[in-house]
Amino acid sequence: MKKKWLPYLLVSPYIIHFIVFVAFPVLFSLVLTFHEWNIISPMKFKGFSNYIKMFNDRMFWKSITNTFMFLIIHIPLQIVVSLALAEFLNQNIKLKGFFRAAFFLPVIVSGVVVTILWQQLFGFDSGLFNRMLVSVGLSKVGWLTDPNIAMGSIAIMATWKNVGLYVILFLVGLQTVPTHYYEAASIEGASHWQKFRKITLPMINPTIFMVVILSTIGGFSLFIEPYIMTGGGPLSSTMSSVLYIYKQAFQYFHMGYSVTLGFFFAMLILGVVVIQKKYIEQGDD
Amino acid sequence: MKHIYILFLVLFIGCNSSKDEKDNTLLFWSSNNRGEIEFTEYFVGQWNKKKETKVRFQPIPEGQSSEEVILASVVGKTTPDIYANMWQGSVEMYAKAGVLVPLDTLEGFTEFIKARCTKKVLKEITSSDGHIYQVPWKINPIMTIYNKRLMSDFGLSKLPSTYDEYFKAGEKIKADKNNDGYVDQWVGYTAVKVIWYERLMNFYPLYIAASDGGALIKDNKAAFNNEHAIGVFRFLQKLYQKEYYSKERLTAGQDRFITEDIFTKWIGPWEIRHVDKFKQRDDFEIAFYPVQVPKGHKGPVYTYSDPKNIVVFNTCKQPQKAWNFIKTLIDKEGDKKLLEITTQLPNRKNLEMDSIFKEYFESHPKMKTFAKQANYLKGVDNSEVIVEVFDIISQEYEACVVYNKKTPEKAIEDAEKAVNNLLKN
Repeated sequence: MKKKWLPYLLVSPYIIHFIVFVAFPVLFSLVLTFHEWNIISPMKFKGFSNYIKMFNDRMFWKSITNTFMFLIIHIPLQIVVSLALAEFLNQNIKLKGFFRAAFFLPVIVSGVVVTILWQQLFGFDSGLFNRMLVSVGLSKVGWLTDPNIAMGSIAIMATWKNVGLYVILFLVGLQTVPTHYYEAASIEGASHWQKFRKITLPMINPTIFMVVILSTIGGFSLFIEPYIMTGGGPLSSTMSSVLYIYKQAFQYFHMGYSVTLGFFFAMLILGVVVIQKKYIEQGDD
Repeated sequence: MKHIYILFLVLFIGCNSSKDEKDNTLLFWSSNNRGEIEFTEYFVGQWNKKKETKVRFQPIPEGQSSEEVILASVVGKTTPDIYANMWQGSVEMYAKAGVLVPLDTLEGFTEFIKARCTKKVLKEITSSDGHIYQVPWKINPIMTIYNKRLMSDFGLSKLPSTYDEYFKAGEKIKADKNNDGYVDQWVGYTAVKVIWYERLMNFYPLYIAASDGGALIKDNKAAFNNEHAIGVFRFLQKLYQKEYYSKERLTAGQDRFITEDIFTKWIGPWEIRHVDKFKQRDDFEIAFYPVQVPKGHKGPVYTYSDPKNIVVFNTCKQPQKAWNFIKTLIDKEGDKKLLEITTQLPNRKNLEMDSIFKEYFESHPKMKTFAKQANYLKGVDNSEVIVEVFDIISQEYEACVVYNKKTPEKAIEDAEKAVNNLLKN
């Protein structure tokens, strides 16, 4: 009898954790999408009105466009920069350990600290970047005040913050490529670029896939940077979907509506990741 | 076995006595700024020496904002008995949710509050259900601060009090000090961030001044589509267009008034201490005057009061005792201490004329300016969705004032439509 109970007892911590922190919140949130609730007053049943509101909410769709805009800039930039740095660190260079640690350092620094630091660097009148531009005779750039540039500035900052993590992933990938492939290619007279294109890239494809997926999911959750740096402005150009959902929940206390947006957004992320996976797998074939 | 009985008995008595103690203790949350902590520590210390009902004081726990912390405590039912520093605009939502004690049901409240506050303030704090859920406590009127030495350096013969005079001062002051082709000296600065509360420091005081204390919402409808709001948007828009103001997003550590790159800004009395602490030269002298108004404006200039009030949560088991404590906290002696320790003004009528405060104001002339202004104030309209109303105005403010994408007329009209739509739902 004791033996029959033992497996259940052993898995019970996970089951309890799953029920309390995953299953119940998800089910409760699903119920909440059909209600209006400001946390402190009783819930009011509203049918599908939150869903109808979502499809008519121009700011929400703008926030999704903004988020995709961020991903379009951020993911290629992240891959190119981190792969280039990983290639550099994979060579026999001096102070390799120092460089590896230096590139990884921003990853472990608090996101809020990094954001405040970059906000000062991006300052229009007194920021370091604009001072440098003016000192070489160029015009100042509205890094965070120009609606056409602000999201790009945030993407640059996010790339700097996260690049160290992806450098490590690419380094691991590069070190799994057997060296005799390169030796054989060298004997055949292949250039560095040919070796990179024909050997390195196909061999590290699983790593690229992983980096794309992680960057996509990380990019979709863009929040701290616009929250602190721009508040979603200028002209809502940096209003990310997560920031908008947060505002609905904790600024206006529209819990039902924010959960509806959250559900839709989660489905969107799932869809994008599935498409990415299929596309990259097709490339493998 | 005997020992176990004794142990249970001790535990029972222990629990029982702590329950009694808990029932006889009020938990009081104050703001967590240094001045208010000092004031509350002093006051609670004095109270606990004399009174049977003890008060346990705690600064509000740290959070992104005090509003978020209060909300979390309401949800978790861990609210204090008394909370001081509630923004007037937040009260209606909590009142409608039924988590606040209607204070006018407590003995002695109505008489006391009528003696303390003007009819205007009483009207402002009365909830839509006719009850009063907040005690008007303190105010920080928003005024224009200016640098006295720079005034003579810039050759200004009088303070720029109207929009036109402010533009003229802007033209005179605007300069490129380091010759890099960009303006680096301005007449003033105000935050450009789109978040709603920033409008309490620029659009809202200017709107109140232009409209002599006009409302944003009246009879559950937007009431701001008028010449005053349009005029304020046009005034601010021109300040950015002509580069009299910078569009820079400054971080908390950057202060252009202290570095003397600007001549004025709109601020409350807390700035007096700030300037004293951070000024970079001994001859850095400041003074205050009312916010700017349109040409031809007659009569006193009103402004936003930034009211912070005291509430009692319904988790309080002894609301009458809580009121007795609050009553002492905000009596004349309590208000005098508040003024002396925190340099924040009590929200009471005839503040400037009252003999008990006279000595303080005589020795603090800058604060006397604020006390005079205290006769011409407005808080916020009572609305459950006031934050969203400010947010809507803020979106239009950014599009029109900062980025010149809309005319003031169109921006205010769009804001009115959005607010009416919000209030309808």
